[in-house]
Amino acid sequence: MTRKLLGALFLVSLAGCAAVAKVETGDQAIGERMALRLEGAWNHVNAPGMGPAQVWTMEGLPVDQLLLYSGIKDGALIHPGGPAGGARKSFAFRSSMQPDEIVAMFEGMLTRDGSSFRLVKLEPTAFGGRGFRFEYSLVRKVDNVQHAGIGYATVSKGELFALLYFAPRIEFFPRHRGRVESIARTIQIKN
Amino acid sequence: MNRRRFLAAGAGCSACLVAELAAAQDWQAPARFARPELASDEGGLWALMDREETRLRRSPFALRDPQLHTHVQDMACRLAGEHCPDVRVHLVRTPYFNASMAPNGMLQVWTGLLLRVDNEAQLAAVLGHEIGHYLARHSVERLRDAKSRSAFGQFLGLFGIAGAVGQLGLIASMFAYGREHESEADRIGAILMRKAGYDAGEAAKIWENLLLEIKARPEGLSNSPLFARHPAPDDRMEALASLAAGMPGGVANDAAWRERTKPFLRDWLNDEIKRGQHEESLALLTRMMLRSPSMPEYAYARGEVYRLRAGDGDLDSAIADFKAAAAIGGEPAETHRGLGMIYRLRKQPAEARSGLQRYLELAPQAPDFAMMKTYLEELPQ
Repeated sequence: MTRKLLGALFLVSLAGCAAVAKVETGDQAIGERMALRLEGAWNHVNAPGMGPAQVWTMEGLPVDQLLLYSGIKDGALIHPGGPAGGARKSFAFRSSMQPDEIVAMFEGMLTRDGSSFRLVKLEPTAFGGRGFRFEYSLVRKVDNVQHAGIGYATVSKGELFALLYFAPRIEFFPRHRGRVESIARTIQIKN
Repeated sequence: MNRRRFLAAGAGCSACLVAELAAAQDWQAPARFARPELASDEGGLWALMDREETRLRRSPFALRDPQLHTHVQDMACRLAGEHCPDVRVHLVRTPYFNASMAPNGMLQVWTGLLLRVDNEAQLAAVLGHEIGHYLARHSVERLRDAKSRSAFGQFLGLFGIAGAVGQLGLIASMFAYGREHESEADRIGAILMRKAGYDAGEAAKIWENLLLEIKARPEGLSNSPLFARHPAPDDRMEALASLAAGMPGGVANDAAWRERTKPFLRDWLNDEIKRGQHEESLALLTRMMLRSPSMPEYAYARGEVYRLRAGDGDLDSAIADFKAAAAIGGEPAETHRGLGMIYRLRKQPAEARSGLQRYLELAPQAPDFAMMKTYLEELPQ
């Protein structure tokens, strides 16, 4: 009952102040330096306090999420800021981070609520130039749903560019994985 | 003396001790609780907890190791006495210090607690404290209070219900009752642990150890909601020590506990590293290295926390810890990855090569194998 209540409150809050806009097929600019090409439309959810990433979804929140980070500067948080001195740890990007440290940073962000993250694969790849990709599984603490995820990232001129997608492991992740991988292949970062 | 007579004599001694201790502490365990009527507020709470327990049994966070589960369940049983049949232990893989007991008998124990206790007696102190809340029916009092204050969600957090835990600190919902309830549960817990044969003096050490971690936070004690609501930790430690002084004796079972939990240590340490609470983790791991200097797992884990924090001097500290782990022997493969990555960053290719090569040899199935192999191949000759 509590979860339903929380879910209802979440929906009410979204209805009250969140905007959902269609992101059309074709070229899209994300921030000042990142561009990508879409082969199908997505939904962009925008609301105050959602943090530095653009949040896109195919199925609607909280089923699946595509987080797009563009030009995150040294010292900047990668998630919405909480109240000062809150019990949850904050995770900030450092331009000197190596790929495994960037993955650990995202892992920390995704598990701030006690969720569980397991790295499945980390490998170099072309992502806006020289980057890396990682696969992971995520079990959400709030509902115990098992998710699968993929991520891509690179650091260019000391700024972080990244894309993270996760969705329930059964049905939704396999349904949209190909779309996300296609987007990652089209990423361009301006120098 | 045959086994039956020995057990009978032991039970007799135990009963004497219980009576003695209870008299000394002016406390008697209540009779087993009957299931309340569903239509009552308490009955509704039981039904809610029953559903949560069903969910917990299926949860991917449940730690399903029969041996460890039996071990902790047996401990809880000894502590609960005649309430034993009503107490059901659930081990939950979550890296925070927490145990909670719901009024229906569901006793959750999180792995962050199992990692932190030094011995069985310390675990018994926490379990005894939670069973103390259960026996004194504090949760029912809190339920009525919470309903009157529209604080039901916060109330559910007492039992570690995932959806209701909004903030996870070092200590999740453990010790989340009011001041009087906490003191009473401390008192009952001390009696139960001594009755079960444990050294009650270990209870105060848990606070001492937790304080090391909490004080290590950048904000120290000042922002801890725990200490805003409860007796000052020094007072509490003093009260627990005083209780223990009145019931000397008992065992701690350090070695048995370490042996029992050794198969899980690397997983639990990795979970602790991933929490990202570097200062707390460093305090915890420093304490553990002092306690168990011959275990490479702790040296590796502290080195990894230093590496990830990467503040002034941290990489030097990380190298020292990684080397210490390797010198002990039997170190996790990631020890060498850590060395390789630091030396790669410092543009020391020979040392980086040595570390990465060793890591790839030891961990050919590692998820980051391809990434580390690429780094190795890119190092200048």
